[in-house]
Amino acid sequence: MKNKDLFRVIIIYFLSIFFAFVVISIIAVLFRYDVIKVLRTLLTTSFKTSFGFQETIKKTIPLIFTTYAFTIPFMIKFFNIGGWGQMLFGGTITAVVGLTLPKIGINLPSFIMIPLLIITGILAGGFFALIAGFLVAKFDINPIISTIMLNFVAVQFLNFIATNPIYRDPYEGHPITLPLPKSGTLGFIFGIPYSIIFAIISIIFVYFLIKKTKIGYEITAIGYNLDAAQKYGINFQKTILITFFIAGALAGLGGTFEVINIHKKLIEGFAQTSGAQYGIFGVLTSLIVAGNPIGVPIAAFLMSVLLVGADALQRTMQIPVEMVFLSQALIVLFIVTFRERFLRRK
Amino acid sequence: MNNFFVELKNVKKVFGPVVALDNVNFSILKGEIHGLLGENGAGKSTLMNILYGLYTPDKGEIFIEGKKVKINSPYDSIKLGIGMVHQISTLVPQFNAIENIILGTEKDKYRLKIEEEKEKIKKLSRELGLDFPLDIKVKDLSAGVKQKIEIVRALFRGAKLLILDEPTTSLVESEFKDLLKTLKSLVNKGVTIIFITHKMREVLEACDRVTILRRGKVQGILNRDEMTTENIVKMMFIEKDIKVTESALPKVELPESRKSEKPVLILKDVSTESTEQSIGLKNISFEIFGGEIVGVASVSGNGEKDLAEIIINPKKLKNGEIYIGGEKINGLSTLEVFSKGVFYTPEDRIKEGILPEGNLKENILLGHHSEERFLNRKIFIKWNEAKSVTLDTIKKFNVYAPNEETTIRRLSGGNIQKVIMGRAFVNSIKLLITHNPTSGLDVSTVEFIFKKLVETRGSGSAILWIGEDLDELMILSDRIMVLYKGELQGIFKRSEFDKYKIGLLMIGGQK
Amino acid sequence: MLNFINSFISQTITYAVVYTLTSLGIVISGRAGIFNVSGEGIMLASASIGFIVSFLSQNAILGFISGMIMGALFGFILSYIHESYKVNQFILGISLVILGTGLSDLMYKLIIGVKLTAPRAPKTPIIKIPYISNIPIIQAFLNQDIIVYFLYFVIFFAWWFYYKTKIGLETRAIGENPKAADVVGVNVTRRRYLSTIIGSMLIGISGAYLPIVITGTYTPDISAGRGFMAVGIAIFASWKPQRAILGGFLFAAIEVIAFRLQVISQKIPYQFFLMLPFISVLIIMMIFKKQIEFPASVGKPYSRE
Repeated sequence: MKNKDLFRVIIIYFLSIFFAFVVISIIAVLFRYDVIKVLRTLLTTSFKTSFGFQETIKKTIPLIFTTYAFTIPFMIKFFNIGGWGQMLFGGTITAVVGLTLPKIGINLPSFIMIPLLIITGILAGGFFALIAGFLVAKFDINPIISTIMLNFVAVQFLNFIATNPIYRDPYEGHPITLPLPKSGTLGFIFGIPYSIIFAIISIIFVYFLIKKTKIGYEITAIGYNLDAAQKYGINFQKTILITFFIAGALAGLGGTFEVINIHKKLIEGFAQTSGAQYGIFGVLTSLIVAGNPIGVPIAAFLMSVLLVGADALQRTMQIPVEMVFLSQALIVLFIVTFRERFLRRK
Repeated sequence: MNNFFVELKNVKKVFGPVVALDNVNFSILKGEIHGLLGENGAGKSTLMNILYGLYTPDKGEIFIEGKKVKINSPYDSIKLGIGMVHQISTLVPQFNAIENIILGTEKDKYRLKIEEEKEKIKKLSRELGLDFPLDIKVKDLSAGVKQKIEIVRALFRGAKLLILDEPTTSLVESEFKDLLKTLKSLVNKGVTIIFITHKMREVLEACDRVTILRRGKVQGILNRDEMTTENIVKMMFIEKDIKVTESALPKVELPESRKSEKPVLILKDVSTESTEQSIGLKNISFEIFGGEIVGVASVSGNGEKDLAEIIINPKKLKNGEIYIGGEKINGLSTLEVFSKGVFYTPEDRIKEGILPEGNLKENILLGHHSEERFLNRKIFIKWNEAKSVTLDTIKKFNVYAPNEETTIRRLSGGNIQKVIMGRAFVNSIKLLITHNPTSGLDVSTVEFIFKKLVETRGSGSAILWIGEDLDELMILSDRIMVLYKGELQGIFKRSEFDKYKIGLLMIGGQK
Repeated sequence: MLNFINSFISQTITYAVVYTLTSLGIVISGRAGIFNVSGEGIMLASASIGFIVSFLSQNAILGFISGMIMGALFGFILSYIHESYKVNQFILGISLVILGTGLSDLMYKLIIGVKLTAPRAPKTPIIKIPYISNIPIIQAFLNQDIIVYFLYFVIFFAWWFYYKTKIGLETRAIGENPKAADVVGVNVTRRRYLSTIIGSMLIGISGAYLPIVITGTYTPDISAGRGFMAVGIAIFASWKPQRAILGGFLFAAIEVIAFRLQVISQKIPYQFFLMLPFISVLIIMMIFKKQIEFPASVGKPYSRE
């Protein structure tokens, strides 16, 4: 029985990806692009050069964080579309703390500054997501609405900070802040950001949280059967708040690393890549693995391969990056449909 | 040929291992009020759902006014002149009476002529002597008024046969009197009525004839002059042929046991809110001692679910006090109640009892997940401990499953019930509350569960057993208490057990 | 002062087209039991195709029609996958939002490409009613483009359909209790298809309105969350057409006020005015929590079993 299911899952993924690539190929043919070259560029850019691989990892890291931000509330059947906003808010508050401390004369060494900024990102992102958690637990407001509204609030808040005379870099045309002090930034090793360590820690953390802890068990139980879970004493309201906090904390952490490791300052639109923002890519990635937290890092890496391929397509063949974005959306649509069709349970 | 409006011949319907209807013959005369009686699970609803087109029978034929018909959906049955008034209102709550009544009528006209229809409806309801507000949203009306609207809706569509499924469940006394009047006047106008009920008095007051079902079979058909309380109760609860009952029940002896000196569970004047779904409890007081099984006999929907749930979730108490082992538990959470040595197995084993996609380990842990023995530093779950407990349970309860990683959804109903029972015995407990632990299971599994209950009782624990089958309760209970409309009707000692007396109280007969 | 009021109302009505048509579209599918959260994606895809077609043909009406067709296509995909495979409506909706987002920029870049000066949409015909259109205040309502008149028509038609026709009554019943409708012989599945497709067509027109009338040109992410705000409006309106219309005008007014205050105000940073519409959605939903009613079946798949 189990093997049969596994076989079906493989077929589902294979077919979905196949169909999505068929659509890409059709579009490519229609607009007179070389189909073989398009597909080759899309799939192999990440592995041809070390630069390609480094770029892939750079995209994978934030994607892991936003994918978890969607996945964990999704385990209790809530949609957190706010990974992006939580990432922006976490990054923005991190930048505020990192820039303000030296200004008021507090110069902390790196080994205090970095943990402080990380904790800032966790708390800021967690708080921001907790708003949506509170709105659904107390006011029954669907998180799809609340998290998206909060995304736009976060965008404006970032803009407010980045254009604020205290933080703004006067020589930049766009809303960009002054650089963070050196003690508040992380570097690269072989072109790969140090934040990869924290991404790996987060993967382990989520694994342990879900599989080994009481709260993870409660989340799983609610996802399986809310009625039974409540009947046997699991507090639903509390679990909603906890899952949203964890989701936001991870997204916020992702924002912190984008600020202190990749850009080393706060830039408007920092949480974006290949034509869309990491929050949306996180939703797609999570839906591909059906909200299974263990599959997240692999899916995030494969998504990033496509994104790097998309960038290369735009650079070398002038094909808009959105083509790949479209194909990812199609993959998800095919997967959710096939999954329901072939794995549906009574 | 004859004067039957409806005849069902040799109807059979099987759900999984359960034979819901076994060669049932059922016929209704034109213009009579025909009662359909039986315990829960006797097959009344199944039979009526077949007639109304919600189920298709596995075998059997349906005749309407002598003509053989096929009924595949309620739409078909409406066209054949059958109307049903369901136990739970099927009106659209956001609509007013007029909108509800005209919904789906006269397909060819697209314009809504509210005023014209209103006049027609007014006329019809005046003729029937049923008046209700026409312009108020149905959700703001009482159950009795909703019922009137449902009746008019059925007749507006030209129903000649009206099926009333336990129509009195949520009615107050005066509303019942009104309903009775209405039914009589409908009959005078040539409408035939099937009246499903558990309540003795209603049968005696309303029905011309009555068919009694038991365990999916027709026990008897009584004419007006044969309808005595005695005849009806005997047919509902006591088999004609004693051997039939015996073969359907496991053979388990109830040995002598020593009762504890102090009660394990005390309820004092316990009341709960009544809601749309449940009737609520009214001033319930009783005690249960260690080493005894107390059975709760009631027709479902008379407060038995509230009784189970108020003990494990005392936050919902309206008033009264609950004590476990002498400690007051008012206001405690479920997990806190569990920590006092109480455990629970719910009524609906799939919907409330298990995590269907979870494995056996995860399922056994449910309700125990906050206990120290399963936690490291209060955060981490000791899965090894959970695993060994699960394997232990699989062995002790004969669960047919490869290992502790098996997804519970893949198990049979009986094995699922064993896991749910096994979960209750992970710790030694003072009190087990178990709700319909045997429903829909085969005899050998029932026997197994019975033995476990007896064993538990022997170890000095108390058991509150809410059951739907009076025969089963009588085999295994030290005492049986009867609930009717959320009130305690009486508690019988084993020596006083009398099917007739208990059955009579269950259906609201005199004490 | 009169001029100010006039231009305020006039501008509000322009934005109300977007909010009202979109929330009405969501309400219409919700009335049949489909919770359509993909409004943002439909708007974006329709904005893109609508602009492209109107720009290439130099005919605004053709732009609106193509936006409407794009909406119908999305509505069909949503109802087909949901009704045939019972895929969760929210997962589908979110996937379609992403699909629409990707499609919008892709179509624009592939067909129009990168231009140095932003291409402009052709003028949309303005309909003036002789004499009446010159009266102050009323002028703001009646000196408008054709889509505004279309909006007036849709408002009237929706009210008439749901409250004056039998099909409308039946469709409302599906949202509240699909079984009750099924039992009396209403084809629930077909109604769900129709409602979702028609609702999505309205959203498509509203999407095309953004580049053709409001901004005059296409920019990425042109709907800027209005598709999701419309979902909020539909919820706060308890899925009632008349209240969705009210909500549409309310949020249009909030957006215009925020926009104007942002220009006038010196002390408060403009970003906070730009947050205002989004925060208002949440606050209004909190305030009206008690009054909000969902059609009982909205968001749930229906099958006879």
